[in-house]
Amino acid sequence: MNNSEKPVARKNSLVVQELNNEVLVYDLETNKAHCLNESAAIVWKHCDGKTTISDIAKQFINKSGNKVDDDFIWLAIDQLNDLNLMESGLKPDFKGQSRREVIKKIGLASIIALPIISSLVAPQSAYANVSCGIATCVVGTMPSGCPAACPTCAGANGATVVCTV
Amino acid sequence: MSVDKWNAIKFSLDCFYIKKVFDFFRNFEIEPVLIKGYSIARYYPQNKIRNFLDIDLVFSDKDFPRAKSLSKSLEIDDILIDYHLELRHLDTVPWANLFAKSEIIKLDDTEIRVLCPEDHLRVICVHWLTDGGEYREKLWDIYYIIENRPADFDWDRCLNSVSKRRRRWIVCTIGLTQKYLGLDLSNTPIEEEAKDLPRWLIKKVESEWQKELRLEPLIIASYNYKSLIQQLWKRFPPNAITATIDCEGDFDARTRIFYQIRDMFKRLKF
Repeated sequence: MNNSEKPVARKNSLVVQELNNEVLVYDLETNKAHCLNESAAIVWKHCDGKTTISDIAKQFINKSGNKVDDDFIWLAIDQLNDLNLMESGLKPDFKGQSRREVIKKIGLASIIALPIISSLVAPQSAYANVSCGIATCVVGTMPSGCPAACPTCAGANGATVVCTV
Repeated sequence: MSVDKWNAIKFSLDCFYIKKVFDFFRNFEIEPVLIKGYSIARYYPQNKIRNFLDIDLVFSDKDFPRAKSLSKSLEIDDILIDYHLELRHLDTVPWANLFAKSEIIKLDDTEIRVLCPEDHLRVICVHWLTDGGEYREKLWDIYYIIENRPADFDWDRCLNSVSKRRRRWIVCTIGLTQKYLGLDLSNTPIEEEAKDLPRWLIKKVESEWQKELRLEPLIIASYNYKSLIQQLWKRFPPNAITATIDCEGDFDARTRIFYQIRDMFKRLKF
């Protein structure tokens, strides 16, 4: 792994909302919402294309007051990459270890929360509100098979509602 | 917690779309006015997110056909927009006057046009009644508009720009908000007046709130035979509140029946 790499976070087609220490991200291309915990959020915010992995680790320490190494930063970037939240497709090399093994190693060594990105799922009540009778419309994903004539789904097409037949 | 997160990101997403549609229409020199949705949500306290499903935009008679023809444009065809041709039954003040009094608010770096709070409160009250008083939770919209109204809120503009009948509708809706949500009306000109609620209205809203089946547009219900029957049945006899509003009726009339009959024929387009 090259820790002098300067990762770039994706900015386009994303709606970002900070909530307490977390960052919520809605991807307009995939119509999926993600929640970055504080650790993942700090890393993501520092991926400006000017800061190296090692410098991000230093900034992380300054910001959180907890010691982390470069693997910790790579772990966050790996997940951000998977969710298409990075511009630069940097791939970490965990030296033959699986991500799970790295998580275990870092988890044992650090007292700070591991970078975690979780997907946000629409609340159950929203399902009922948008049921169109043809298909079950689920908030949070992109409509595909919904007939254009369906007023509920077609209306909300792409905004927040998706049809899963 | 995840519901809170979902609501927070959905709210941001909706705001993003509002900015996008305003930018879009302004590129064509069309100036819409946002009603309901975000323009109410901004009165809510920060810890209480008021989500909305669509974006209600009002266009002048002149701009409406062009706005509708642009609605299929790729840039906005994935956004749920409700296009209103002026305010029709929701208000009787001429659109030119409403537009002249409308305000520009900032949504991040975008300027959004909304009705002035006095006009908006009137519109929200009539809209709530048009729904037949079904949505108790939407009384919170009225609650927060009044609770967080500007210091120079012009009650005269709000109540006396319309007929006495409409004034009564609005005062009664505010009165219901006071009765059921504890809205504080002290130091307002309707402090006493809002307590005088017709008995039929109280009875009607309370019975509506007991019902499990909510009113749905027939076009949506028509995709399911059972729900279509339920929705048709729900419309008979017509909701007394909706019928009164549709017929520009009097809240203090002795009976609702004539409004209901008239409304039924009106809806059947006789």
